[in-house]
Amino acid sequence: MTMDKGPSQTAASIAVAPPATSPTSPALNLASTRVALAGRQRAAASREVALRVDQLRKRYRQVAALRDVSFSLHAGERLALLGPNGAGKTTLIRCLAGRTKPDGGAIELLGERLPPSGGRERLGLVPQDIAIYGDLTAAENLTAFARFHGLRGAELRRRVEWALHWTGLADRSGELVSGFSGGMKRRVNLACGVMHSPRVLLLDEPTVGVDPQSRQRIFEMLNELRDGGTSILLTTHHLDEAEQRCDRIVIVDHGRVVADGSFEQLVRDSIGTSRHVRLRIDRPLVEPLPPWQLAGDNAARDGLQTRLDDVAGQLPQLLQGIAEAGYGVLSIEVHAPTLHDVFLHLTGQKLRD
Amino acid sequence: MIWTVMAVCIRRLLHNRTELLLTIVVPIVFFSIFALIFGGASSPGTTPEIKVIAVDTVGSPHSRRVLESLLQTRGFLFVDRLSVAQPPDAGQPDLSEREATAMVRRGAAALAIVLRRGDAGSVHAELLSDASDQVAPQVAAALVQRVLLMTGQTVPPATQTQPTVGRPSDQAAVVQAGGTSVVQADGAAISTAVPAFMPPAVEVIDIIGGDRHNPVISMYAAGIAVMFLLFGASGGGGALLEERENQTLDRLLTTGLTMDQLLLGKWCYLTLLGVVQTTIMFAWGQAAFGIDLLGHLDGFVIMTTVTAGAAAAFGLLLATLCRTRGQLNGLSVVAVLTMSALGGSMVPRYIMSPALRDAGLWTFNAWALDGYDKVFWRQLPVAELWPQMSVLMLSGAVFLVTARGLATRWETQ
Repeated sequence: MTMDKGPSQTAASIAVAPPATSPTSPALNLASTRVALAGRQRAAASREVALRVDQLRKRYRQVAALRDVSFSLHAGERLALLGPNGAGKTTLIRCLAGRTKPDGGAIELLGERLPPSGGRERLGLVPQDIAIYGDLTAAENLTAFARFHGLRGAELRRRVEWALHWTGLADRSGELVSGFSGGMKRRVNLACGVMHSPRVLLLDEPTVGVDPQSRQRIFEMLNELRDGGTSILLTTHHLDEAEQRCDRIVIVDHGRVVADGSFEQLVRDSIGTSRHVRLRIDRPLVEPLPPWQLAGDNAARDGLQTRLDDVAGQLPQLLQGIAEAGYGVLSIEVHAPTLHDVFLHLTGQKLRD
Repeated sequence: MIWTVMAVCIRRLLHNRTELLLTIVVPIVFFSIFALIFGGASSPGTTPEIKVIAVDTVGSPHSRRVLESLLQTRGFLFVDRLSVAQPPDAGQPDLSEREATAMVRRGAAALAIVLRRGDAGSVHAELLSDASDQVAPQVAAALVQRVLLMTGQTVPPATQTQPTVGRPSDQAAVVQAGGTSVVQADGAAISTAVPAFMPPAVEVIDIIGGDRHNPVISMYAAGIAVMFLLFGASGGGGALLEERENQTLDRLLTTGLTMDQLLLGKWCYLTLLGVVQTTIMFAWGQAAFGIDLLGHLDGFVIMTTVTAGAAAAFGLLLATLCRTRGQLNGLSVVAVLTMSALGGSMVPRYIMSPALRDAGLWTFNAWALDGYDKVFWRQLPVAELWPQMSVLMLSGAVFLVTARGLATRWETQ
């Protein structure tokens, strides 16, 4: 039993609750989602490696931005690069895109070693900033970037038409991008990075600053890309995005890979089976209740919380102990670990902003 | 509240070095340039030297004395001194005078002083000048007239040529001083036994202007065009910095596009834009102010293309020198205005001191304006543009290569 260091998201019932949902995301059938994720993970393990990073290093003067970073992205996989600001995510993306020259290590794209710059024709990049031309129309932007990627003639026209429908902006193709909303600009930004049908797509914070509806739309677009065979690597510091939208998570902090695996694997390897339990009793606890180490809940004097390593075995004993002490239990919440808990456990600190 | 608003504005200004530069330093720089131009680096009262060539068509002892005096006159910088050993053949133009005329037409000299034989053994002077320089002929005429007077040259009233340079009251005083008739204070003449003398006439002949009534329009058109080519190119270079700031440049360089292609593409666009901009301006000049654009199309196209190319390369160089659009704005304003002032885009270079004129040669405004001057004013053949074309093309190449070198730091970090 361990003392809890901080509150997690709330559960919905007295039983062991399903994993918490973000208050800003739509309701998901998480059980089926997790099964699907598990399926893709098994499939991913047998697929080819689309992108391999091996012992990548980069230093800026006294600051080590990347320290022996190694991980792989499998074909058809969606991988989240999670970490706080300053962790090295953007530096890593820039190295992969050939915009920053690493000091050491290797990058392989579809089995071929990449030079420090160039040779990225099968790679797509969607920067964090809206890196398109505000004084061009949506169609003109898509056409320009398609041409920069080498598309011409009928193929170019086909891709532009596809992109306009894919982004849902076909009816606004002739309008200047500067007049679009943030979400619409992000969609055009995304489309400009995939005009050449890349095998691997790098996205740096693709949903920063957009509303939930636009965020949902962007991930639907990414689903279509993945279903079409594009492997996706995205950086984010939104935990729910990494937890719910990605097959695998690589946690980066201070330039190092702290963890690499699916959400279940990360939970299993870090927190294990322990769960945070919160109870409300009918009156404040006046004296300790050994052997249970119950901490007061800051929300109310009659709220208690603890961590149980074996919920199924220990929770009945806890409830019995409380009842024998003469207290009545009004409600019980059992919180499944979240990615925040994993990050907290692995780094010893909250996700920095 | 009002004070708080003011305090915020002051603090923002103090934190913004670019704006401070533009507000405080640029006016000082400009004032200094114009003070040097109009105040002159030399001591007060001296006459700025005029580039002249002298031709003695008389060959008499008197004309030689006049020529020697002219050579010693402060205010003249002699490019060459030509003498005629024998009188010119009848019907054939004098070789030396033809050479002098050609030199003035080419701009190698501001004017040519031609000494001719007058009546009764006198020597009079003709100044073959370029009407676009509105200062040199007047100054030169006064100096030549003084030399003729000092060498004892006067002209009897009956043989005086027109036009006469100088104010009527001055001439009257000279007549009184130099003539043998004595005039009393009450104005009554005592003796008229000897005719009164008139000051020597100095005739100014415009050999370039002809019937053109306003020589400066084409010069100002060129000056303004070059200045705005520079501003336009700097603005175009700013687009490159914006692309870098919003990561569009990163995205572009992950495609098949190379930095060479990107810079060349922008240079071609800026050059083309500059050509169009200048053409429209000169077309308007033709329509509204009578500049003969169509009559000088070949020279105009050549000069406009090389000037626009050099300006475009300069704009890209400024952009690659800077890290932000704000830095570029400040640097481009200072650079363009300074170059335009020194190079003759704002005030004619002929009124500047020799030192400032030499300094102006470090700006391509001066070379561009010289080229347009040769095309529109002197109407020289296109082959005469080779110095200006060479300097502008070389400048453009150097700027572009340097910009490419500086842009290397944007390719990979």
